[in-house]
Amino acid sequence: MYYAYVNFDDYFLYEEPFNIFDFEDISLIFPEIFFGMSILILIIHGVLLSSNIKYPLIQTSFIYLSILVLFLVFILVYNTTIMFDVVFFNNTIIIDELSVYSKLIILIASIICFLSIIKYIEHLKINNIEYVILILFAIFGLILLCSANDLLISYLSIELQSLSFYLLTAFNRNSIFSTESGLKYFILGALSSSLFLFGSSIVYGVTGTTNFEDYRDFFWSYNEILFFSKNNFSNLLNFGFLLITFSIFFKLALAPFHIWSPDIYEGALSSSTIFFAIIPKLSLFCLFIRIFLSNLCDFVDYWRYYFVIISLLSILVGSFVGLEQRKLKSLIAYSSISHMGYTLLAYSSGTNFGIQSLFCYLIIYILSGICLWSIFLMVKFKHNFNNKNNKDISDFILFNKTNALASLVFSTVILSLAGFPPFIGFYVKLNVFLSVIESSMYFVAILGILCSVISTFFYIRIIKILYFESGVVGNLYNSISYIFSFILSVCFFFLIFLFIDPDFIDLLTLNMSVFDFL
Amino acid sequence: MNFDLALLFFFSISILFNALFIVVGINSIYSIFLLVFLFALSTGLLLLLESEFMALIFVIIYIGAISVLFLFVILMLDLKNHNSFKKFYDYMPSINLLVLIFLFSFFVIIFDSFAKNYYINNFLFNFNTNWFYKIECMTDLNALGQILYTHYVVEFLILGMILLLAVIGAVSLTFNGNKKNSIFTQKTFRQVSR
Repeated sequence: MYYAYVNFDDYFLYEEPFNIFDFEDISLIFPEIFFGMSILILIIHGVLLSSNIKYPLIQTSFIYLSILVLFLVFILVYNTTIMFDVVFFNNTIIIDELSVYSKLIILIASIICFLSIIKYIEHLKINNIEYVILILFAIFGLILLCSANDLLISYLSIELQSLSFYLLTAFNRNSIFSTESGLKYFILGALSSSLFLFGSSIVYGVTGTTNFEDYRDFFWSYNEILFFSKNNFSNLLNFGFLLITFSIFFKLALAPFHIWSPDIYEGALSSSTIFFAIIPKLSLFCLFIRIFLSNLCDFVDYWRYYFVIISLLSILVGSFVGLEQRKLKSLIAYSSISHMGYTLLAYSSGTNFGIQSLFCYLIIYILSGICLWSIFLMVKFKHNFNNKNNKDISDFILFNKTNALASLVFSTVILSLAGFPPFIGFYVKLNVFLSVIESSMYFVAILGILCSVISTFFYIRIIKILYFESGVVGNLYNSISYIFSFILSVCFFFLIFLFIDPDFIDLLTLNMSVFDFL
Repeated sequence: MNFDLALLFFFSISILFNALFIVVGINSIYSIFLLVFLFALSTGLLLLLESEFMALIFVIIYIGAISVLFLFVILMLDLKNHNSFKKFYDYMPSINLLVLIFLFSFFVIIFDSFAKNYYINNFLFNFNTNWFYKIECMTDLNALGQILYTHYVVEFLILGMILLLAVIGAVSLTFNGNKKNSIFTQKTFRQVSR
């Protein structure tokens, strides 16, 4: 029971002075402040212009404005110089290498996603400015989540991003699939959020704090754990953290909690799917690392086997169920499930190298995801259905003959996802298995490699359809725009160049993985 | 057992049974009325825990706004009574067994953890009451405001963003443009001359 009493009027509730107005420190969270305020200004701008009498269409210019905002936030984040970890606002927000670099990656990825949805949105005539604003809110939540150092802040930022994702899923309200998948996503996401809240309330009940740094002080040595085990509170604590883990796994779409993801990828607009397929994984893993590795590192032995089982299950599900898929979107969904399984495998090794290979894998996942989804958005049939969102794999029969270069990039990305040697996908997959073998989980590594071989089958089937299928009837495609060709060529360059010279990605992920844990 | 503890047990047990009957109830109108009753009971529980502001908020917002909104929505929809236990038996071996195992382990942990208070015979247990605190105290609202606007200012701002997002989302999902012949627009002349 909490009593808030004060003795005199000039006596504050806590003795500690409140120093958020220290300006040298607060310059580190200017990006968040700027981002939040510019979202509000963009809303006012959009409302004033679009409720004009003549109703001009400002959708494309609005997307360019939001790209400008994201670019400015990127510059602000890039210019933060970090000497040591800085915490703000009663220890609830932390700025360190992990958060800064992941913010940079998220911002770059979201800028490219914005660039690649412009044509699609024009084509589908989505002339509501709210669509762009919802995406901006989601990115704001993800950026906040990267630097969350408190269960309350992390819950709120997860809620911010997932609420805007529910709305983005259900945005096409004329389509029954879109509304159905939006409702499904909303109900299941609310369930997982309630699991998160239940778990954090149990943890708060046992420890009396929601701050991650306090957890680190609390569980620092093994003696405390013994103390707790005498009092039988360690079971309750584990249960609370298990519920939080369920919730995060749910958001990451790992195997026993994955059932929502293919349906929702199918039902939503492709321009929304690109966002929730690519961007949120990195910041959710940031939160995951902050909770479990950085601050509860004494409990690693409790979690490890559970995490390994979950990751193996999701690799199995992703590679075996992916064989059955005929739609390209659900195939990508299952492949992303298996990729999340590999990242969790790297995570559960618990070493520094494991974390490094996790971030390598996630960055390459984001890169190849951008390439894959932008090809998906770009491919537009010359004739038939304007509003056909879902493409079968067999729609790509004539793709090689109409656009040989784009189909070359497509097959490169798919080979990189499958993990073929001359591309970067091979290198990161190698890193993951190396980190697993280093922590002597041999059987797990063998199973993972075998499943990776199995999942190669459905990747190669796409290439077979692109090049070797002799179809009589097929679709013709429109030519691609300047922006798309630019994005595709940059992604193609990085997919090959990073394999030849992986120093850049190695150093970046080394910076991200070295923080004070263990 | 003193009177406070008896009230606490009364409120919590009746909240649990109410929640159970809301879920398994066949008629949805009864479920909504039970929900109102549940909120009233939890108001009593919160008053017992001396957080008056939250109790009053429960009465005003949960009973006054949300439950009444639910009631209106359910009265507007043409729902048929359905027995949810049929599906319970259909899914019995696969899903419900997992849920029951989960619940069982949870209750085992709960009863294991709170079986005994380790401090009650310890010298750490404080039997004294500081009468000074009892005399000079802040009101609930004042204390909440002092904490909310200083230590939890970021949470407060993000909550504001979430509410703004909810408003934008609700408008964007339902706003139908400025179509004149939409079924949702009011036709004033027809309504007046009816």
